[in-house]
Amino acid sequence: MRPWWRTPTARRYVFGYTLLAPAILYVGLLVGIPFLFSLYLSMSDASVGDPVASFVGLQNFEAALENQAFYGALRNTLVFTIGAGILKGLLGTTLAFLLVQSFRGRRLVRALVVIPFTLPIAVSVLGWKWMFDSQFSVVNWALSRLGLIGAYGSADWPVWLGQPHLALFSVMFVNVWRGFPFSAIVLLAGMTSVAPEIIEAAKVDGANFLQRFQRIIVPMIAPILFIGTAFDTVFTLSDLSIVYLLTNGGPDGATEILPTLAYNTGIRAGALGRGAAISLFLFPLLLPAMIILLRTLRRRQY
Amino acid sequence: MTDPRPVPSAVTVDRRDFIRVTGAGVAGATLLTMLEARQAPAQLRGTGLRMLKWSHFVPAYDAWFDDFAKKWGDANGVKVRVDHIPHLELPARYAAEFAAGAGHDLIYFVGQILTGQYYRNLVDLSDVAEGLGKKYGAWMENAKSAGQVGGRWYGVPDFYIAIPVLWRKDLFDSVGLGAPTTWEDLRKAARLLKPKGHPTGMQFSHCNDANHNWRALMYCFGVKETDPSGQNILIDSKEMREALRFAKAIYDEGMTPEVFSWDDASDNRFLASGVGSWIHDAISAFRTTQDTNPKVFEHTYCLPEAAGPAGLRWNVGEPNVWAIWKFSKNVPAAKEFIQHIANNQKEAMEASRGYNMPFLREQYKKPMPGLGNDSKLGVLQEQDKITAFFGHPGPMTPPAQEVLTTFIVPDMFTRVARGANIEETMKWGVGEIRRIYTKHKAS
Repeated sequence: MRPWWRTPTARRYVFGYTLLAPAILYVGLLVGIPFLFSLYLSMSDASVGDPVASFVGLQNFEAALENQAFYGALRNTLVFTIGAGILKGLLGTTLAFLLVQSFRGRRLVRALVVIPFTLPIAVSVLGWKWMFDSQFSVVNWALSRLGLIGAYGSADWPVWLGQPHLALFSVMFVNVWRGFPFSAIVLLAGMTSVAPEIIEAAKVDGANFLQRFQRIIVPMIAPILFIGTAFDTVFTLSDLSIVYLLTNGGPDGATEILPTLAYNTGIRAGALGRGAAISLFLFPLLLPAMIILLRTLRRRQY
Repeated sequence: MTDPRPVPSAVTVDRRDFIRVTGAGVAGATLLTMLEARQAPAQLRGTGLRMLKWSHFVPAYDAWFDDFAKKWGDANGVKVRVDHIPHLELPARYAAEFAAGAGHDLIYFVGQILTGQYYRNLVDLSDVAEGLGKKYGAWMENAKSAGQVGGRWYGVPDFYIAIPVLWRKDLFDSVGLGAPTTWEDLRKAARLLKPKGHPTGMQFSHCNDANHNWRALMYCFGVKETDPSGQNILIDSKEMREALRFAKAIYDEGMTPEVFSWDDASDNRFLASGVGSWIHDAISAFRTTQDTNPKVFEHTYCLPEAAGPAGLRWNVGEPNVWAIWKFSKNVPAAKEFIQHIANNQKEAMEASRGYNMPFLREQYKKPMPGLGNDSKLGVLQEQDKITAFFGHPGPMTPPAQEVLTTFIVPDMFTRVARGANIEETMKWGVGEIRRIYTKHKAS
């Protein structure tokens, strides 16, 4: 009798796990270990210059909760992520519907719309910094020329990055500008996979545009939509660069989000333990969202 | 006839004496030659030196520095590589290098002085710093805070950036005001000039200048962040309340609302555009104006610092400090280079167009390079007497650093300028600062 490991079933298992191994190794090394390390840091008094850290339990989390700036950052993070997510969804959907139509130069337009997403983030954000400049803003000058606002120095001259609500809107806007082409491309990929016959059949049955979108397209491309939403939520929630380069969390914490607070506390101020604790507050925000998304996706597959 | 045979000398030199005497002679001659030629010891030949610096606000200085470092490397057989990155990225880079235990041999702190955080992993540079102190008439008292921890030097101060008042004489003249000397003079000018389209501005935002400028106002008003030990917080004072009240008044009366969005370069552009009546900024703003708007530059003057109500004047500088990792592969070369640049500080000042201010007393001999022959900037030649750094009068400790990087002080001023109650703002700000100091004491 052959030993178990020589049976075809065992060989299939070995072959399957061998194929899976690189992915598991990748996730383990580049996600699992850093995550465990940040857990360790968050429960220690580690600082940037001190390799010897001692266990402090949940003190760093308590310290974060005692910090008023933390609550502002948490609120801004939620507003930023949800607000930007909704806007990217709306704009991305609109753009996808436009791009799915056939017209002359469609390929060129499709290539052009992804430029914001492909540009190095530092370059594009610095461009926006200039466009939001308090004195030389091209947006303000255009609005002023159109007579929608007064001249430079007047009371209704917007200071995009200086007024608390405008500043939060501005950083969100740049995130949306950069991210909505990605949403559109994801949707477009899904929409092109829907067989035209199905849409035609729905049209024949009298379904209007919204009904076709709601009852046919969305259910059929749901898996792609869920994955796209999951990616976008993670990218937005952990987006440090836009806020850091535009406002660094100012003025007076109006645009502070958890990643910038964690970075300024953990790296610039050197309190690694407290910085790690702040950044880990993102985890309970992300985990339920990801679980819901993935479970819904699984249910739909069955 | 003389005897051709050699006459035995009364003094005999044996082999050991010969080696000792000639050895000392050769060593002395080599040392003198090295000193003359400003050369490092021969053991450096064939080695490499990697250093990390920030991208200086005066690009010409970086060009000069890179060439200077290369020439030193060529003369000493050291392969030098200089990396420049934006100053705000330095702390993250150091955290990564420290974690990896590898990176640049010679590093540089600017603005954010991390000597207190990393000193356990930095080479003790007391010999270098004390040698330079002796050679150049002692260090400025405040320099010690940038380089020392527990009385030992783990960093060697290179230079600091002065942040004076830059004001428009033509505009001040137009409202009948003379040269400003006090904060009250500046407030009056702002009040009179804002209605004429020439407001002033100091950053109420999360940038370096906001930290420096409001601290300068605070210190001039007599505010002490901590006691000289750096352990006890003293910011909860009537002087701080007075400084906040003054800031609110000067904002309401004479500032542009743009200040809430400004970064470190916005005030440069504000002055160079011809709109600003005065700003509180490094002389890069002066140079920018000189290069981009000669008409405005013609009327732009410099005040080392304005005096507070009791006549106190404290300018808050941005320190720049050398340090060497313990894991550096070339500590001797790094040490040699620190000394070499300190010995050539005059050239460095010239190259920076007066931007780099020395920490060593003797380097304040007039005329100072880049400043002494400048009719407007010559007033900065006594800046060493009025320069303080964050944490004043305490040292730049890790908790003081955290207070700086989390922008609590500028945020206090921002809140009051936006109409928040002073007592509530004090309660919030002092509470945040206490929380930070308590956490550091506990760890």
